[in-house]
Amino acid sequence: MSDLTTAPAADPKSWADEDDDDALPKPTETVGADGIITIVEWKLDEDDRKVKVTRRVRRRLQTSQVSHIVAERKHWTKFGAEKGKAAGPDRATTTVSENINLKLIAGGQKAEPVEDEAAKAKATVGTKRIMCRFCKGDHYTSKCPLKDTLEGAGMGDLMGGDMPPGDDGPGGGGSGPGGSKYVPPSMRAGARGAGESMFRREDMPTVRVTSLSSEADEDDVRNLFSRFGPISRVNVVRDRDTGESKGFAFVAFESKKHAELAAQKMNGHGYDNLILSVQVLEPRPPRD
Amino acid sequence: MKPILLQGHERSLTQIVYNKEGDLLFTASKDHIINVWFSSNGERLGTYSGHNGSVWSLACDSQSKLLLSGAADNTMKLWDIKTGECLKTWEFPTAVKRVAWSDDDNLALCITEQRSGYQGAIRVYEISHEGDCKNQPDEPINEFSPIGSKATVAAFAPLGHEIITGHESGKVALFDAKTGEEIESNERAHSGAVSVSPIFSFLPTGPTLLPQAKTKPQEYAEVFDVIFIAQADPLALKIHDTKNLAVIKTFTTETPLNSACITPLKPYVIVGGGQDARSVTTTSTRSGKFETRFWHRVFEEEVGRVRGHFGPINTIAVHPEGKAFASGGEDGYVRVHWFDDSYFRSRPYGDLEPAD
Repeated sequence: MSDLTTAPAADPKSWADEDDDDALPKPTETVGADGIITIVEWKLDEDDRKVKVTRRVRRRLQTSQVSHIVAERKHWTKFGAEKGKAAGPDRATTTVSENINLKLIAGGQKAEPVEDEAAKAKATVGTKRIMCRFCKGDHYTSKCPLKDTLEGAGMGDLMGGDMPPGDDGPGGGGSGPGGSKYVPPSMRAGARGAGESMFRREDMPTVRVTSLSSEADEDDVRNLFSRFGPISRVNVVRDRDTGESKGFAFVAFESKKHAELAAQKMNGHGYDNLILSVQVLEPRPPRD
Repeated sequence: MKPILLQGHERSLTQIVYNKEGDLLFTASKDHIINVWFSSNGERLGTYSGHNGSVWSLACDSQSKLLLSGAADNTMKLWDIKTGECLKTWEFPTAVKRVAWSDDDNLALCITEQRSGYQGAIRVYEISHEGDCKNQPDEPINEFSPIGSKATVAAFAPLGHEIITGHESGKVALFDAKTGEEIESNERAHSGAVSVSPIFSFLPTGPTLLPQAKTKPQEYAEVFDVIFIAQADPLALKIHDTKNLAVIKTFTTETPLNSACITPLKPYVIVGGGQDARSVTTTSTRSGKFETRFWHRVFEEEVGRVRGHFGPINTIAVHPEGKAFASGGEDGYVRVHWFDDSYFRSRPYGDLEPAD
């Protein structure tokens, strides 16, 4: 009887406490078979939402030679607030921050490099936006008093030469005062035209695998081909409705050499009672 | 480089110091606690608790056995570094603003604040290393109050016969450690600092820490035995000769400075600052300039910056072998930066640089 009455109060993990947002789960560390350590941490973001941070790290033991006194001090027992704690840095007090580059350059740094330019850009944009393209007065072009007289005469010349550089259009792409405006990737300098795919399939040396067992999935194919080199992408072609494999697949390698080697070695290879047929795909001519 | 973040304090840092070998890092803050860390991995070895006020200053002896601390609770304490035990407490009428050891660990000095009818004083103690070091003299071997502007920082000059002081007015002076007599002074070392209270950082460097220059002996002969003072206003920091207090180098900046140190091995000066703590909330973070700056010691030009702190940098310490530096900020964090290989390889001025 006493169990029943005392249990809910004494049990710290009662269901009522479970939704307590203040208590973040403790960070966990698991060591994988390949020596990679997965660290899962929890933190709160700006909006007080719980965020899970998973980091995969590999630890490398670094040895350094130090003097005897330093080595001896390393074995001192901890005291004060750290008394009785285990050796090694405590995650509560010690963390490693993100990488910082220290570049040492001669000639003195500018007094206020970033803020200054941004402020200047803002100021110039502010004034240039309301500069008349005809008479360069301090008003909008459409409100220019000389609009009618100048429009027919020399507008073209004025437009060509005296426009503020930032208003050249989207081609500027990041430089100049207009740089803060969004420019779609296809409009940026150096883009190859509209509809550029993120993966750029054509660029990857790809092999086509036919006579593939319909039970082989992406992982199987990847296992089969990864021995020839790094694979960027595996695609087993499936029926759209049933999801069943159609018996062929595409494997994209990162280098042409590996793709050729894979085609050479795997063509005619037996796999799951079928004989694979593997060919290197010729790059498709660019679409017009 | 990947800085190691040490979060052992709840309030702003006041001073951080390395020990002589550079494997221990002591940090003091306004939250009354002193922490000691292994600088190599950021592991906290322990804490020294006992002060009842902001700890203003720290000093570690050359054997890494005894630690001195001065705090706003009007005491100076002597600690056993290994166990965290307080060995001796000296009480004063006012707060202790600065403590320092002499090179041979036999003398210790402290500066007490000028307040409520008490003059600011510099006291020199003879520290005994007998037995468990608990039997220390109560009375100083020497006590003197500098006339005029109060002293804010002090340290023993190399060899320990003199004490170099930095004063609120911008004056730099040299006192005899035994008699308290003023030997030399440079009244106008830092001009126009009367109204503000400048925060000096003060570092005597011995000849061994400076590069043994082969190509430019003249340039470096001058830099031997210098002290270094950073000043909050008028935004200049100066390197002084410890013998005659003459200004050797001047660096002008646009931000207020809180702390600075000279790097061994490489000819740089690391400077930390940012605006006054009281004006932080009234300006945007971008204009805060909470960056650690690297200045070239010979060419007096800024060569690099390291960002990371969210508030003004109160204190900077450099590893005695020049392999790392640590900065402590108003934000309560200490960041330990171990230099990359590129730092040691880089020669921003090419052939004009002194040979390594």
